[in-house]
Amino acid sequence: MTRHLPALHFAMNQPTLSARARLSWAPLVLAALIAAGCKGSEPNATASGETGGTIVVAMPGDVNTLLPGLVASIGDRELTDLLYDRLAEIGPDLNTLGDKGFTPRLADSWNWAPDSMSITFHINPKAKWHDGQPVRASDVRFSLNLVKDPAFGSPVAVYVGNIDSVSVRDSVTAVAWFKQHTPEEFYDLVYQVVVVPEHILGNTPAAQLKTADVGRRGIGSGRFRLVRWEPGQRLEIVADTANYRGRPKLDRIVFAPSPDFSSAVTRFFAGDADLFDQLRPENIAKMAGDTVRRAVRYPNLQYATFAFNLVDPKQPTRPHPIFGERAVRRALTMAIDRHAMLRNAFDTLGVPLYGPFPGSIAVADTTLPQIPYDTVAARALLDSAGWVAGLDGIRVKNGRRLSFGLMSPSSSASRHQYAVLLQAALRKVGADVRLEETDFASFVAKQNTHAFDTEISLFATDPSVSGFKQTWSTAGISKDGSNFTAYSNPMVDALLDSATATFDPARTRAYARRAFETIIEDAPAVWLYQPPTVMGIARRIRTTNMRADEYWAGMDEWWIPADQRIARDKIGLRPLP
Amino acid sequence: MPSSARNQSFGALLFARTLRDSRSKFALVVLGIVVLAAALAPLLTPYDPAAQLDIVHLRSLAPSFAHPLGTDVYSRDVLSRVLFGARVSLSIAFAAVALSVSFGIAVGVIAGYAGGAVDVVLMRLVDAALAIPRLLLIIAVVALWGSVSVPVLIVLIAGVSWFAVSRLVRAEVLTIRDREYVVAARALGVSPWRIMLRHVAPNAMGPGLVNATLAIGNVILLEAGLSYLGIGVRPPTASWGSIIQDGAERVSDLWWLTVFPGLAILITVFACNALGDALRDALDPRQLPLTASEDLVHRP
Amino acid sequence: MRRYLAGRLLQAVGVVLMVTTLTFVLVHLAPGDPVSAALNGPGVTETVRQHWRESYGLDRPLGEQYVRWISNAARGELGFSFSHRRPVRDVLADALPRTMLLAGLSFALSFLVGIVVGVLQAERPGGTRDRWLGRVLLLLYSVPDFWLALVALLAFSYWLPLLPAGGIVDPVMHDYLSTGGRIADRLKHLVLPVVTLTLLSAASIARYQRSALLDVLPSDWMRTALAKGLSFRAAVRQHAVRNALLPTITLAGLWLPSLAAGTVFIEKVFSWPGMGLVTVNAIGARDYPLVTAGVLAISVLVVLGALLADLAVALVDPRVRLS
Repeated sequence: MTRHLPALHFAMNQPTLSARARLSWAPLVLAALIAAGCKGSEPNATASGETGGTIVVAMPGDVNTLLPGLVASIGDRELTDLLYDRLAEIGPDLNTLGDKGFTPRLADSWNWAPDSMSITFHINPKAKWHDGQPVRASDVRFSLNLVKDPAFGSPVAVYVGNIDSVSVRDSVTAVAWFKQHTPEEFYDLVYQVVVVPEHILGNTPAAQLKTADVGRRGIGSGRFRLVRWEPGQRLEIVADTANYRGRPKLDRIVFAPSPDFSSAVTRFFAGDADLFDQLRPENIAKMAGDTVRRAVRYPNLQYATFAFNLVDPKQPTRPHPIFGERAVRRALTMAIDRHAMLRNAFDTLGVPLYGPFPGSIAVADTTLPQIPYDTVAARALLDSAGWVAGLDGIRVKNGRRLSFGLMSPSSSASRHQYAVLLQAALRKVGADVRLEETDFASFVAKQNTHAFDTEISLFATDPSVSGFKQTWSTAGISKDGSNFTAYSNPMVDALLDSATATFDPARTRAYARRAFETIIEDAPAVWLYQPPTVMGIARRIRTTNMRADEYWAGMDEWWIPADQRIARDKIGLRPLP
Repeated sequence: MPSSARNQSFGALLFARTLRDSRSKFALVVLGIVVLAAALAPLLTPYDPAAQLDIVHLRSLAPSFAHPLGTDVYSRDVLSRVLFGARVSLSIAFAAVALSVSFGIAVGVIAGYAGGAVDVVLMRLVDAALAIPRLLLIIAVVALWGSVSVPVLIVLIAGVSWFAVSRLVRAEVLTIRDREYVVAARALGVSPWRIMLRHVAPNAMGPGLVNATLAIGNVILLEAGLSYLGIGVRPPTASWGSIIQDGAERVSDLWWLTVFPGLAILITVFACNALGDALRDALDPRQLPLTASEDLVHRP
Repeated sequence: MRRYLAGRLLQAVGVVLMVTTLTFVLVHLAPGDPVSAALNGPGVTETVRQHWRESYGLDRPLGEQYVRWISNAARGELGFSFSHRRPVRDVLADALPRTMLLAGLSFALSFLVGIVVGVLQAERPGGTRDRWLGRVLLLLYSVPDFWLALVALLAFSYWLPLLPAGGIVDPVMHDYLSTGGRIADRLKHLVLPVVTLTLLSAASIARYQRSALLDVLPSDWMRTALAKGLSFRAAVRQHAVRNALLPTITLAGLWLPSLAAGTVFIEKVFSWPGMGLVTVNAIGARDYPLVTAGVLAISVLVVLGALLADLAVALVDPRVRLS
């Protein structure tokens, strides 16, 4: 699973992380076990499996925070998912409407009020924090208030807008009140508001929790607890033997940060790490006869586009002098051989993209009409739009050359590769592309302020349709949204609104499909690829069903057969010397 | 007049002495080959260095008869990239060194001849500038402007490379300042600028020139390092460092992307340094004050 | 003497101040800020980002931020690192010793090796040994450091898996090893980076030392020693070396400053989390406090090193003292 790593530079994809996307990365232990059909994993542990073992995960970059409410990157999400339990966990089919498929965690049962404006949760009395204190309903109330508190500055604050409050009936009963009955209200509360301990965090003013030491202790309710965190070096979590759901099979998981991709890969192939989740095609080719490691493919919810800026970067109220015209955008799209580029960049692992959505979500439709690859038609279209080839081969119109910048973050190797490929392809139809590779901070700043000509952007979505409004509706053009292309079509706005308002999944799909069709026709971007995600993992590790979007869901049920253990598996649970 | 006659004999002497050294013969031959190859690049290879030949079928090919140095991940011929890259790396090096050495000589001559407050201020400036690790400075500047164009890159590199020259030249000027011909010129009322230009500079340039030859090697290494970090020349331009950067993630399997440009850098820099060494030995080492010359040493 | 010292000290402070100010301005002028880089998910509103900026004081005018930073730094308060989410002081306290260890070890080793090789060369100038050593040294002097590091890593971690592929210690096993095991673990991780750095630096130093020795060979006292019957080699070893060590000591003083920042490429290739890597990453992350504090630390070391070097020369060489 690619990670969103703003702080450290890394040659890998850096998707814009939709907060709702994090829904799909919640660990899903019980459901994964129950839904036994082993999709693409090793022969499963049908026996209960012995306890013990240590896994080292080679992590690109480092963890920034262990406070769930402050999580903004995928790496942080993985850690907090392992250390903290939610009220309930999402089902394997990733349903977000109502509470279908959700399995109990901290809340062992819940009741809907008849008008669905409130839900009563009963907290499992055996649930405890890692320091021994019981989990109480007041913790739930505290957690919601924290996320809503502007002084805390939680990145997910906007998603809990519909939750009015949580009231405490007694120490094990919490009632959540909503302002409106929406299809995803249960999901909003249960997923976005991870329960944190009031008795530990409540004594510090919310504004200081970002920097206070108490926020780094990671005291949660999950099946793993934090042993130590040496930033830049390693982060170690061990099995919580007193957990209310029982201890996990593994003894310990160590996260070893690496400053860049090559060192992480080297670590993995040298045997210093057991797991690395960002293998590339060339690494996989090498693993053909490897007896110690294997490669496991896992789907993801990301997509990358070559996006045009539809407004003038110097004057965002005016259309872009080149890309304001639909014909030009369509012509440039026709000049790009997406399938050849896919083969070049990802070999046989490439997954083509058919629109502004990843193939594995419910509303995806890979049969939508596409703009074809046709350089002859592209040139003809450019000619008829008034862009005529000059002496050096570059087209000119009204004294302006068809010359523009292509922005990509220097931390992403795939995007860099595509940038160079696109530059050559567009040159063939008479466009002069200047590559502008910037570091991630500049990239993000320029994206948000529409200060670019074209860019390669990578999005991470979630199963729900509401995330698309952020990226493709007029409302998303502001700094609060992610509509970097400034694409605006009232019909699409209306369609997406309808898609999110209905409670019927079939109608959601129909509306979404029509919206996507329109977007594809308007060609605000070229649909490049879905990043292939392949994990390298040591063969001795027996995994559970790897969920569609998070490989670490179910990590607490992974195990290592006794006869295959190596030195570090035998450390056991003894405390540090 | 003594000064010009002396200059001529000095220069001629230097030239002859250098050529007698076997190191410089070797170095000049190698450099000659490199420069010639760079100049004749279009004739030596049929491919355009930026041409992506067939991104599906011709990428990442090992060295073969058709592509003696292989192809890179974008199916571009590596031989043409190395040859055209020589042009880029060498021209950046020559231009940056020319710029920095000229500036360094100018500053050194002015500081050494003028003395007093001017000298102190200028030299403190140089000391301060030397306190900044130049790599960090360049990285910070590039963060401001994003990736930079070649002319800007040249100015940037020149801007951080002139300090040592100025110090060396200044030291040399200090010994020359009180020589008879300079004193005579002053007594005759010749303007200070003219003295600096016609009498002091030509005689003080010696260490500067030696430094220049060694600096070419240093700048090639610096540019390679910058390109390796991804902040050097922009695609699709090839420089030796950027070819290594292209292959940085695939060192183990696409070894030809690392080995060949690396060897090119090694050979060229080696030749430059050998030439510089020979030049320095030809210049009587006893002219240098007190200690061995600092230009023997790499510092970041 | 005291006035000289005071003067140099004052200049040193001025230099450090200038360098830090320049860095501060440069990093703040670059587009982007740490908050927008860290919080750029689509669900994050500008309000939240603005709030984070306020809590870190990033929305204040540049001048005010600068003054605040300077006054804090003077008291030792270096601020909070955005990218590491820890006090800057802690980040530097972790990173600096790691670089010092790497650089210090290779510094000592390269001077040792360099001096010895320089002496070996000067014993018979122009001889076969001198010429061949000279060629090897020139080769090492001409090789790009990141390239050498890459090749070394490839050779000894990948093709011949003898040594670990980077890092300081084994991420898992280190604490569970015996004391002897722990020392061995640290040493194993030190070998490649130190050897690479040493090879590169030793080449420079050997060249320098050789040149310094050749400078003193024509001296009167050398001629006296030879006249007294000493063999050339013995004369070099017993007399020349002592006299020719001075410039090398000066060089050591000048080299000290580069210790802090000269290891960037090595740190990058070998994943050594030291000052160079930390500062470079911090620039990319717009982690203002960390960048400025890092550059401050480096420039303080540089200036100190230069000061020490000048002092050493002034103390030892009366000619310089009087000028």
